[in-house]
Amino acid sequence: MSDIRHALLRRDPLSAAKEVLYHLDISLGSALQSSTGPTPGLEKSTVEMVEEFIFHVPKDRNIQPKRMSCIQELQLLEIMCSYFQEQSKDAVRQIIFSTLFSLQGNKADESRMAMLGKLVSMAIAVCRVPILECAATWLQRTHSAWCVRLAQLLMDDYCTLVPCAISTLQNICSASPRFCCQLITAVTALYDSSSDELTPPPALLEMLVGWITEDPRLLLLTFINTPLNSSLPLGCLEITPLLGLLRWCVKAPLTYQRSRKLALTNGHGESEKGTAYEELYSKLHLSVLQVFLMLQVHLTEQSLIGRLAVLPVESVATLIEEVSRLCEKLTPLPAANHIQLALDRLAQALQVAMATGALLFAREDLRTLCSRLPHNNLLQLVMSGPVVQPPPHSGPFQPNMYPHIHPGRPSVLSPHSPHQSALPSPHSPHPVLSPHPTHPVLSPHRPLTAHAAHPSLSPHAFHPAAVGFPYRPIH
Amino acid sequence: MSAQGDCEFLVKRARELVPQDPYAAKAWLITARTLYPADFNIQYEMYSIERNAERTASAGRLLYDIFVNFPEQPVVWREIAVITAALRNDSQDKHAQFLKGVFETLPGPVQCKMLLKATEQCFNTLEKAEMLLLLLKRFPESVVQHGVSLGESLLEAETVENLDTPVNCFRKLFGSQEVGGLKSPGRGRSQRYVIDGLSEKSSVVTEPWERLLEMVGVVGSLCDWQGEKANRSYSELLQRVSELCRYMSATDSEGFARCCAQIVTCCTLVLFHSAFHYVSAVQPSLFQGHTSLSSCPWVLLEDLSSVYTDVEVERKHTHKKRKLADGREKTMSSDDEDMLAKGRGRHIVVNKAEMPGWAETVEHFRTARESWDLLHSHQSLETEFVKICSAWKTEMWMWFRIFLTDMIIYQGQYRKALSSLALMSSLQLQQNQIQNSLSSSSSLETQRAIIQQASCHYALGEYRMACEKLLEVVSGLMPQNHEAVKSSEEQRKPRGKTRKGNDLRLIPCTSKSILPFCLQLMLACFKLRAFTDNRDDLALGHVIVLLQYDWPQGENLFLKAVDKICQQGSFQYENFFNYVTNIDMLEEFAYLRTTEGGRVQLELLPNQGMLIKHHTVTRGITKGVKEDFRLAMERQVSRCGENLLTVLHRFCINEKIILVQSLP
Repeated sequence: MSDIRHALLRRDPLSAAKEVLYHLDISLGSALQSSTGPTPGLEKSTVEMVEEFIFHVPKDRNIQPKRMSCIQELQLLEIMCSYFQEQSKDAVRQIIFSTLFSLQGNKADESRMAMLGKLVSMAIAVCRVPILECAATWLQRTHSAWCVRLAQLLMDDYCTLVPCAISTLQNICSASPRFCCQLITAVTALYDSSSDELTPPPALLEMLVGWITEDPRLLLLTFINTPLNSSLPLGCLEITPLLGLLRWCVKAPLTYQRSRKLALTNGHGESEKGTAYEELYSKLHLSVLQVFLMLQVHLTEQSLIGRLAVLPVESVATLIEEVSRLCEKLTPLPAANHIQLALDRLAQALQVAMATGALLFAREDLRTLCSRLPHNNLLQLVMSGPVVQPPPHSGPFQPNMYPHIHPGRPSVLSPHSPHQSALPSPHSPHPVLSPHPTHPVLSPHRPLTAHAAHPSLSPHAFHPAAVGFPYRPIH
Repeated sequence: MSAQGDCEFLVKRARELVPQDPYAAKAWLITARTLYPADFNIQYEMYSIERNAERTASAGRLLYDIFVNFPEQPVVWREIAVITAALRNDSQDKHAQFLKGVFETLPGPVQCKMLLKATEQCFNTLEKAEMLLLLLKRFPESVVQHGVSLGESLLEAETVENLDTPVNCFRKLFGSQEVGGLKSPGRGRSQRYVIDGLSEKSSVVTEPWERLLEMVGVVGSLCDWQGEKANRSYSELLQRVSELCRYMSATDSEGFARCCAQIVTCCTLVLFHSAFHYVSAVQPSLFQGHTSLSSCPWVLLEDLSSVYTDVEVERKHTHKKRKLADGREKTMSSDDEDMLAKGRGRHIVVNKAEMPGWAETVEHFRTARESWDLLHSHQSLETEFVKICSAWKTEMWMWFRIFLTDMIIYQGQYRKALSSLALMSSLQLQQNQIQNSLSSSSSLETQRAIIQQASCHYALGEYRMACEKLLEVVSGLMPQNHEAVKSSEEQRKPRGKTRKGNDLRLIPCTSKSILPFCLQLMLACFKLRAFTDNRDDLALGHVIVLLQYDWPQGENLFLKAVDKICQQGSFQYENFFNYVTNIDMLEEFAYLRTTEGGRVQLELLPNQGMLIKHHTVTRGITKGVKEDFRLAMERQVSRCGENLLTVLHRFCINEKIILVQSLP
């Protein structure tokens, strides 16, 4: 190994970096082939070599590694891009990506992060799906702080620096929905509406609403594809962007109210823009509620109702806390309508999330948590729960299993790979009654990439995107 | 707060939000539904929003929910009624198209249920039938279940609305639309009934017979009919079932019973098809609404071209015939068999120049008869056929009655034919009353029936009745120019010669063709009486008058009459100079009076008998008589150029009473 290092040291930085990539490909590729185990361990020397020759972290104090010029860096990124594009083996690609960009908790991480940001940004620009898929995995396994960093870098590139570049990002959704799902979670973590600077930029909001209304299942993609028993690192992003989006929707009336207050003092009239955003938030909020309904079908089918908190209880509690604080701040202003709107949305989200099993709250918990919020009729109703009557249909609302009539069509959400299409057709008219054949009871939550045609995600009412759902032939 | 109060609050909030923020409205309703999943108004409000925004997929999804969860809500029914109405009419209106789209998004079974329920809601039968057809069109597999009730409801409607015309809107609807529906898969014997209702053809439907035939193929394959396949012609169909019938009746009764439905259905269709075509050739005005100049009715009558043959050859046979005719009324059944045997192999003479499609027409007539015979060849077949006939009220079908009558005539069952003709007249009377018009065509049709009656009476040996009827016809005729008739008569002369007396002839129902027939029929009636051993000068005189027509065809008979007169030595026929203008005959009579002629005493002048009696008292007066005769002869010769048909027509009209009375 040190032989290689010495050889590399003599080279110019670009060719050295290329050589490292080449070396990685050979050694990891052959290691993967020979071992039957899941992932061959990375040799420390390999990691070091990557850090030294690609991220240019000096190994010895006395040897200052040659840095690449900007052009050389660009060339390296291009090489990486084409490498990941051309590497046909998923596993090799994954392991090399993670070897390059998994954070090691050392000083190399900063340049690692910088390089990753540039690579993903480039992959978005030239639509390199394999890299986006790797980045999606990276966003799942990495601490949310770093994910927010990546999101920030991408937002800088596509939202802030060149405003019209967002359309490039917009088109990525159909190419790599997994990446987009994770990106949404990351940006909701980035823009947590805790300050004016951290409200989502309008262009981003518009793009996301476009994505989600196009196909609301996008929001559940990571959740559905993540094995239940997989141990995710602590502090990683939430499994769905649902709570983050809810935070946007619920807080939006309050924060816009706040910004309007500022605008009034500054003398700018922003009310018109405000109205457009209000509609976007309204649309987004509806989509989130619809996704809860879809989620219920999935949870029911997997017998996970009541066993899995899709919305983390603490995060919801935090949200309620934040809302009540914001309300208190706004109370002296004549903002009753906006407060009521925020509370309506909060109440709706809480009710629907509870009813669909996404949020494991009892009404009593709710009453405690919401005690500090201002009065709201709907919230009151939700907290007290429906008046119990002996109804013909007892129990919580169960969406009917809707038998579809049209032949299934491939969805943009399922890039087909051979082993996936070999799965038996998972259609079943009564998914609730008959457990899904591809989901053995013992491991109920295996990856579901192939499940573009998943019946559990039948379109529920009020879906603009319902048409795009796979249908099962009846005739 | 009550549950209802909650729901009202939630729906109200949503409704308020619809105009300004529809997304928020939906969010409210989704929330509301999770709170009160059993509340109808919440879900209906959701549906309304989607429907008003014309969002097909989501509206369909919600409609599905409320249809499944709240089937008893009247509001749902109103909605379904609106949608099914849109499905029924082919409106291109945007909203109607949207509603159709909504319906299309529903799963098949729900569509089916929805249509059925909507059908139940219909009070108007036509509407109901339209709904059922819609159902059958979309769900052909439900034909088995609902096809019969559709047929029943249509028939019911017919009775209720009292429509007598065979082509009414119900049948048209049924006929035109059902065919397509039946082509799709589905099984069941009850489909047979569906066809049954259909086979009454409506001329409004294009090519109904071809489509019907297509259907037979389809239904045949659906019902597992023996060797049934599509693309047969009607005659092939008949051949197929008659073979099947012969084969099955030779085997076991169980197998026969199994094929019974197939045989009767196919055979009935062939019968109606052929009979319909026969009648539309023979009585075109029945299907054209009004008679065009080119299409006159045709009438099936006894062929009388042998009327001029020597009476001796015929006498024995005729006697036998008369005997049969007398005995018929007592023992009908055995006689029928006799007549059936006689009917076998009868020939139908047609003037090919006058009837271009004669071969087809005769063939249709034959096929129809064969189908009829097949349907009556077996008790079980007949029972089944009778059921169909009574269900369809075929006895009310004028055209079918016409065919039946002709068939019975062909079979030689003249007594039966006469009652059939009577039925026909009453039907005709009814129809004329409905149409409230006695057009020229309808009077020709009436005459058609009467002349057939005359022909039948003649065949039965009932000459007086025959004569009475035919004189009734003749009084309504206009004599044509004799020459024109003569040429056409000459055309068919050579063919008529070889035929026996029991052939039939199809004659156009026009004065031009009917008058000659009447004259021949009268001749046939009087011929026998004139040449009996008893003396009957009146009959002989009538024969001589009638023999003038188609002269010299009747020359032999005339000479035979002259012989008879010579043997008698005298002959009295006071109408002679009124109606005999034939120069040959006049010469012959002039000769009879001479010594060479045998000095036959001829009393041919009106009231001459009185004169002669008077003259015998006063001698020498006979000379004046002779002079009268000579003058009459001369005058008569000058009348030779007169239109013979006019003369004979006048003879029939003026001497009507004496003609009828001179027959037994």
